[in-house]
Amino acid sequence: MTLTIPALRARSARRRRRRPLIVSLAVAFLVLIAVTGLLAPVLAPHSPDATSLLNSLLPPGTEGYWLGTDSTGRDVLSRIMYGARLSLLAPLGVVLLSGVLGITIGLLAARAGGWADAVISRGMDIVFAFPSLLLAMLVVAVFGPGLTAPICALAVSYTPFVGRVVRSVALQEGARPYMESYRVMGFGELWVTLRHLLPNVMPVLIAQSALAFGYALVDLASLSYLGLGVRPPDADWGSMISQARSAILQGEPWSGLLPGLVVLLTVVSVNVLGEHLGGSIGRKQSEGV
Amino acid sequence: MLAKKTLARKEAPDGGAEDRRDALGVSRLSLAVGAGERAIPLLADVTVRVGRGETVGLVGESGSGKSLTARTALGMLPRGARATGSVTVSDVDVLSAGRKTLRDLRRTRASMIFQDPRASINPVRRIGDYLTEGLRARGVPARAAAERALDLLDQVGIRDPGSAVRRFPHEFSGGMLQRVVIAGALSTEPELLLADEPTTALDVTTQAEVIALLKNMQQVHGTGMLFVTHDLDLAAAICDRIYVMYAGRIVEESVSAALFTAPAHPYTRALLEASPSVHGDKVAIKAIKGRPRALAESPSGCSFRDRCPLAGDDCAASVPAHRPHGTSLVACLHPEQVTP
Amino acid sequence: MARMLAAWIGKRALGALLTVLAASILIYGSLRLVPGDPVLAVAGGRRLTPEQVEALRHSYGLDRGFAQGYLAWIGDALRLDLGTSLNYQTGVTSLITGRLGVSGLLILYSATLAIVFGSAVALVSAVKGGLVNRIATIAVAVTTATPSFVSAIGLLALFSVGLGWFPATGAGTGPADRLWHLTLPATAMAIVAFGVLARVGNAAFAEELGREHVEAARSRGASGAAVIRRHVVRNALAPMLTIVGLLFASLFVGTAVVETAFGLDGVGSLLVSSVSRRDFPVVQGIALIAVLLFVVVNTLVDLAMPFIDPRVTVGGLSR
Repeated sequence: MTLTIPALRARSARRRRRRPLIVSLAVAFLVLIAVTGLLAPVLAPHSPDATSLLNSLLPPGTEGYWLGTDSTGRDVLSRIMYGARLSLLAPLGVVLLSGVLGITIGLLAARAGGWADAVISRGMDIVFAFPSLLLAMLVVAVFGPGLTAPICALAVSYTPFVGRVVRSVALQEGARPYMESYRVMGFGELWVTLRHLLPNVMPVLIAQSALAFGYALVDLASLSYLGLGVRPPDADWGSMISQARSAILQGEPWSGLLPGLVVLLTVVSVNVLGEHLGGSIGRKQSEGV
Repeated sequence: MLAKKTLARKEAPDGGAEDRRDALGVSRLSLAVGAGERAIPLLADVTVRVGRGETVGLVGESGSGKSLTARTALGMLPRGARATGSVTVSDVDVLSAGRKTLRDLRRTRASMIFQDPRASINPVRRIGDYLTEGLRARGVPARAAAERALDLLDQVGIRDPGSAVRRFPHEFSGGMLQRVVIAGALSTEPELLLADEPTTALDVTTQAEVIALLKNMQQVHGTGMLFVTHDLDLAAAICDRIYVMYAGRIVEESVSAALFTAPAHPYTRALLEASPSVHGDKVAIKAIKGRPRALAESPSGCSFRDRCPLAGDDCAASVPAHRPHGTSLVACLHPEQVTP
Repeated sequence: MARMLAAWIGKRALGALLTVLAASILIYGSLRLVPGDPVLAVAGGRRLTPEQVEALRHSYGLDRGFAQGYLAWIGDALRLDLGTSLNYQTGVTSLITGRLGVSGLLILYSATLAIVFGSAVALVSAVKGGLVNRIATIAVAVTTATPSFVSAIGLLALFSVGLGWFPATGAGTGPADRLWHLTLPATAMAIVAFGVLARVGNAAFAEELGREHVEAARSRGASGAAVIRRHVVRNALAPMLTIVGLLFASLFVGTAVVETAFGLDGVGSLLVSSVSRRDFPVVQGIALIAVLLFVVVNTLVDLAMPFIDPRVTVGGLSR
């Protein structure tokens, strides 16, 4: 109904301001995963690489191997814990790199304007035309398997994702009268940009980065799943799933399904968090706070 | 209800038994959304009547519930709303009507004109589509509907209807578009026209044209009209009778001509004093103190008492009943202090 | 009007061409980024005679400057000659076209699934609201976060190994058998796309449902179905189409994961094996097709916009 009823609007606004339970759950899960990854040597019940053919393909719930074992008898829980390190650090690297690149390029485009802005925007369009996974595979073809090259490639791939919003926020903010007054007072362009534009860009940057983290995690896990990412003995969740392929066809899917579930829950949590951050920014802006 | 007889009742032209029915009869309508403790009241005890061919104004500030009242006539209640009382259009009981009856009512008996024509016409469909949609829905063959659309556009003064039907809304000015909306509203020969601030979104010069057209078309088609507006002067200029609404309640009902000389409710007088009038002498414009209230946030007793200069302790006791004062029906304990 | 239209189409086409040009330079140039001698690195463990090395060097244009090498490569590509696979020793073009049947069907199949179910869920949840909408929101949050390799193993474990309803590998023979074989892969690939479409569609439908012209149509007595069809779905078509356009390129790349998971012999699995064997001509060829697909589909969507939303004027070049 387009008829606005102020009393109803006030009520739904109140409801929105509470932090939803789902966001708290997402944060809790991410903290849990990060802590288990960080403290894996302390917390993990087994060595992630200890094989034992006697104990291969144990189902979840087995005493001592609570999430079961994979086809070579390695403890799935321990491997998920250790796998969290690369699975989370690599996308974090992507996000940090693309954040720095995105801020630089977005601010540059917004502040320079004119043909520089046009060239940068066009460039971002071109990068956007490369699906991120394709770019990652291309650099694997160039530099061979491993995570370093794909991390850099994905960072470039997600730069437009960050750069576009940074640019638009910077343009919006830069058009406000107070920016002009700083310039009139003789403050340098760089100082104004770093001191006043950057803080305004940060919230939207954080929200975009959270979403990009989820995408990057999926891309990197996909690469590892395809055997193009981490190289043994290193392992991440994607490579665990890849190694479980034959076990799945034998009807023992748990050593693949469990890391898959962890990937899924991590990405859901990150997306929930990112959307919550993005949403609250949108609300603050529309409310004029 | 009894008191209503003090008002001159305008009979329908041919006075047949069937036609004696009002175009719109809203009686003791209350509306609330939600249930139990958390229910939010929106309308209370609203009674509005529009005779056939009569023009009735419904005047109030935003949030007073005037648009909501107009919409209940078409059975368009807010989601989750519960209504008590009765709403009849011609002989259809709207509140108890099923989906099909409501649809037939909207297709044949009653039409609504919205405030902003740009928002109320689908921007991606052609003008011809807009005009024929209602006709096609009631079973008029495509060709006849198309011809009728051309005829209607001609009636509301759109030049070159043949090319107009093929164009999109964004190619028209606001005034022209509101003419199209009027043509659409009259296409089904309704007995009741609900005009919800039909000129507020238009330029001042177009406003007059659209009002004149609306009045003219209404007379030609013999349609009863409920004219919803916040503009008391405009309502007085075109309406036979006027209802003044405040915080979800009708506070005064009066013959238009008398409202200016003898307002009976302090709110009506405040409204008159707040608008620069072309009728009286130059007087200082007085703003009404405070801000308009919705029913849910209004005080106990008389809703207006917290903004009313005449309010006494007795006003807090209970909601004042409607009673006659001069030519008005007024919900105020002290109408004699407003206009002796 | 006709001239404006031509100018507008021209400008869009030029932009698309520019993107393809830049992307193709990048794809070609990637070979020159290979550390050390590209040909030796690419040859890897394969035994190549000096003549073969020379031939490779020539075919990549490595014996010439970058610009000349690029022009030779792109010139061949325009004549549908994408070079010779190092691994298969056959033409890349025929390698790809021979697998395009499986991959193309897979993409169309999963796009159909995603579009049908995505828009249905979007529409129902937007119209019904309340509990239905909340369930749909959760479904969307989960599906958009499910990587295709996770859904692939889940589907394999449940429907193929567990219940035995669908085959685990292979593409089947004959039309019906092929569809049967491709059902699980297409579903695995469609899950994320479904979520994205359902979310965008829900937002678009909900926005249109809240508009006054929808209420006005109801006030004229239009039936519920007619209002949805003529005023809600019709108006939400533009954002939906944009997403569908983006969908195709991501599905094309998505075949890499799904074809590997289900043992299908398509363009995606060819890409994966070629990347791991550093079979550069094949990788470059497939990358070029992917970019081309993305650009062509999105340009077509752009060009279709004025017909879908009359407010998008052909003259309105500023974006």
